[in-house]
Amino acid sequence: MAVLPELGLVRSDDLDEVLAAVDYDHAPYAGGTELVPAMGLGLRRPTAIVDLKRVEALKGIEVDAGAGTVTVGAAVTHRRLSDHPAVREHLPTLAAAASWVGNARVRSTGTVGGNLCFAEPRSDLGCVLVALGATAEARSTRGARTLPIDELIVGAFETSLAEDEILTTVAVPFEPPGMSYWKLQSYERPTLGVSLVVSESQWEVTVGAATERPTRAVIAAGDATGLVAFVDGLELSDDMTGPPEYKRSVLQAYLDRTLGAAP
Amino acid sequence: MTSPAATSTVVRVRVNGHEIESLVPVRLTVAELLRDRLGLTGTKVSCEMQVCGVCTVLVDGDPVSSCTALACDLDGTDVLTVEGLAQGRDLHPVQEAFMAANALQCGFCTPGFIMMAVALLEDHPDAEPDEIREWMDGNLCRCTGYAPIETAVTVAASRLPAATAEDDQ
Repeated sequence: MAVLPELGLVRSDDLDEVLAAVDYDHAPYAGGTELVPAMGLGLRRPTAIVDLKRVEALKGIEVDAGAGTVTVGAAVTHRRLSDHPAVREHLPTLAAAASWVGNARVRSTGTVGGNLCFAEPRSDLGCVLVALGATAEARSTRGARTLPIDELIVGAFETSLAEDEILTTVAVPFEPPGMSYWKLQSYERPTLGVSLVVSESQWEVTVGAATERPTRAVIAAGDATGLVAFVDGLELSDDMTGPPEYKRSVLQAYLDRTLGAAP
Repeated sequence: MTSPAATSTVVRVRVNGHEIESLVPVRLTVAELLRDRLGLTGTKVSCEMQVCGVCTVLVDGDPVSSCTALACDLDGTDVLTVEGLAQGRDLHPVQEAFMAANALQCGFCTPGFIMMAVALLEDHPDAEPDEIREWMDGNLCRCTGYAPIETAVTVAASRLPAATAEDDQ
């Protein structure tokens, strides 16, 4: 077994104490589903981990009926997200996507914040949250700021968070009618994820997993040429699950079939 | 708050019903605690990436990959490993079903499959074949014994309520 290097632990139930501790060498830690394997492989070598799991402010799931949002704490696990009645009621597509993340063990321990902050492109939640227009709150000892998930995830394994910032909550607008999420998956992570919001006037298409970051386009309903142009313009990954041409072909076929838009 | 960056911490945890208190290094995984310190080698380690499932143990009833979970997080929890399933010489119904269905060849993946099945059936004793297949999807068997494993879990699901009733008598 790979033995982890010596590691310190900062643990508090107070958000301010946690924020005071976080920097590049003191890594935010919750489920550990990404961080612990990364440390085992030597890809990440913090001197200490800062445990976020005892901070209540990071574990809530709150509904604001007036604003039409569900606010999810960064340390909420996939299991809790997918099982929560308010999430199932107001965000059924997100609840379903969370119930298919990884495997049952990953869902028991892995968190929403960890999934987004690791910014692994082959993620379901990133794609669905960009499609929903969700907003993240980032916080440090310098204060708090909000930013769209689209601006939080800036590239493969890259976020716009500063080294002393943590993601605290994600505010998700209630799901609009006509929303769906579909993925192609052979192994533990998706090869291609597609979230659609279809109305009479437009198709909102968000593509994830095969792209460096979730990529969203709004296309006039029925504009098959515009749809092809969007798909052709995507830079798709080349990896063990297939070359870009294969993923583009699957994506176009799925969209044609689902939107009834074969040119 | 623990003193900043302490490199070890005291953990009080129930393992298979036994109370344990131990000063553990922060870097110690749950699998290392179980195998190297407690001698519970029924839990195996293979991929160390949460993909293969051989290291599965239950923490407060939830399945967890012990290879990548840190022991410092176990404080106050209840851990169940494959060694904690049998009551004396009486095997757990899931273990019985694995034997009856010949659901193992080399046996390396078996503790992980059994713990996953126990976790599923504790929560959903009436799990349908589709649910069983989806739930067990995160475990690998390199002897390609998936069909008998599926049969074993399905049989255990059908027998579990009856088995519990027998225990009550």
